Amino acid sequence: MTQATASGRRSAIAAHPLLSAGIAILIAADIFFALYTPIYARLTPKLGDFPFFYWYLLIFMPVTSVALWLATVLQKRLEGNREAQ
Amino acid sequence: MSNVNVTTFTIVVVLFLIVTGAGFAAARWRRPQNMMHLDEWGLGGRGFGTFITWFLLGGDLYTAYTFIAVPALVFGSGSIGFYAVAYTIMVFPIVFIFLPRLWSVSRVHGYITPADFIRGRYGSRGLALASAFTGILALMPYIALQLVGIQAVLTVMGVGASSTNTFVKDLPLFVAFLVLAIFTYVSGLRAPALIAFIKDTLIYLFVIVAVFYIPTRLGGWGHIFDVAQTHFASISPTTKKPIGTFIPTSKSIGSTRFDFASLALGSAVALFLYPHAITGTLAAKRRSTVSRNLIYLPLYSVLLALIALFGYMAVADPVTAANVKKAGNSQLAVPYLFQHMFPSWFTGIAFAGIIIGALVPAAIMSIAAANLFTKNIFTEFFKPDASPELQTKMSRWASLVVKLGALLFAIELPHTFSINLQLLGGIWILQLGPMLIGGLFTRWFHRWALLTGWLAGMVFGTLAAYNVSNATALHWAASSDIEFGHTIYIGLSAVVLNLVIAVVLTLILRAARVPEGTDETLPEQYTADPEQAPAPAPAAVGATP
Repeated sequence: MTQATASGRRSAIAAHPLLSAGIAILIAADIFFALYTPIYARLTPKLGDFPFFYWYLLIFMPVTSVALWLATVLQKRLEGNREAQ
Repeated sequence: MSNVNVTTFTIVVVLFLIVTGAGFAAARWRRPQNMMHLDEWGLGGRGFGTFITWFLLGGDLYTAYTFIAVPALVFGSGSIGFYAVAYTIMVFPIVFIFLPRLWSVSRVHGYITPADFIRGRYGSRGLALASAFTGILALMPYIALQLVGIQAVLTVMGVGASSTNTFVKDLPLFVAFLVLAIFTYVSGLRAPALIAFIKDTLIYLFVIVAVFYIPTRLGGWGHIFDVAQTHFASISPTTKKPIGTFIPTSKSIGSTRFDFASLALGSAVALFLYPHAITGTLAAKRRSTVSRNLIYLPLYSVLLALIALFGYMAVADPVTAANVKKAGNSQLAVPYLFQHMFPSWFTGIAFAGIIIGALVPAAIMSIAAANLFTKNIFTEFFKPDASPELQTKMSRWASLVVKLGALLFAIELPHTFSINLQLLGGIWILQLGPMLIGGLFTRWFHRWALLTGWLAGMVFGTLAAYNVSNATALHWAASSDIEFGHTIYIGLSAVVLNLVIAVVLTLILRAARVPEGTDETLPEQYTADPEQAPAPAPAAVGATP
């Protein structure tokens, strides 16, 4: 029982490599683009009066929300497929 | 009390009374049939939906750290303080990876604390004890930070500050704390969950007003940023170095980019290792409640980013900057800014928001620490047959003791930058990363290897933090030090050491076939989504069908 479910999960990932990769990329990109400071530790281009460093961080918040929403949608599909099998 | 503004003071007191009333009334909210059970007192019945969970976690995660400590660091050192913004971006994708698994396995087995999970997963009482101890220890400075936040507001209000007697000076703080302690004792997690609604309303209100209104008084955002840029580039007469940075730099000496990234990453991984964050999570009704909240919570972080910018507003406002300099305490930056910019009635609303914003997380933190003590130390080692009723009584008292401990931290440690209190807690709590996050995915790690790694990380981290000195403090002056030529958050270097030891020792212990302990969890339990909360323990008094 345990074995079957565990391998069932693994095969769900194997059966839907695109979905799984999509989730992984969304999460990894979200972390990377906040972690790798050289990308955004700069003054220009400015948005209005805001230097790049500051508006980049502000805009990243809603972007994170959207990315996580997408990841959740993909994961639901992945799990739905698993249950259907 | 000569310079107390009556309007401000009255509004703060009235709002505080409303919150106190709500705190006591919360005991009747979603009233259970039997309050004397840890699932009820400590987890609010494990039945909070998306909406309440959002407020509860928001109230839990955005604390005096957000409203006082982060802008204070921005005010004092500039862009490095924005690591907190990068941290609250990263935390949600990181947590997305492991938090739903923790919720599922805890729901299936009825775990109340993270240490319950450690015990069940590794079959090791020692490891569970280590994690409970770490959780309680790490919460102390975090609760202390809430006290420092309240203190900052009270100081600017002029309440008690004119007295030289320590007791009279801190009396308002003691009163606020006593009220917090009593309603937590009575209502458990329901109190902060209910008060979180009031807190968030006040905070959204004053942040949005401040963000649109204050720049119009200070000559616009362009002017605020210009002043900040010039200010942080100027040379400090004492250290002969720039006062701070406006954008993280990559210079070989004093590079702040690496420090920035390591502080952000370390804090992000640490956040949901904290027992209070896990308490807020486990109180959720369904697995989807948790993942849905990870989508909505980043919107709360926008507030944090805006609040961080208050630090620059304080720099750009000459009166505020002079006031803070005179007081010699950058924690006062935001309260002074509001006092100078807002009419006194609105200052009252903002101050009440900050005070309540510190009380809510302090309540949840003390509940989490109390649950750890009761479940994983008292019941585990001293009274294995403790009834749910006795456990709840114990937890109630423990929540009081924890708060007193935090008071000691608040008094003992230097608060030039109160943010260090939170970062110090972070150094300790991060040491649970390998056993907790690791354990959610694999049983590969050996329990003794994890324990040794944990010990090494704790000792290294504590000593390293103790040894950091600066111009004003001999010890505990900062939470970053230099490793291999880079300024890095000590929590991160300590957890790397921890992990390396855990991996190496696991290989050795596995080769030597040292017993691994029994694992009571099953793989599918990590993705399970049971609708019903687990039935209260068999011995539950007055159990109902």
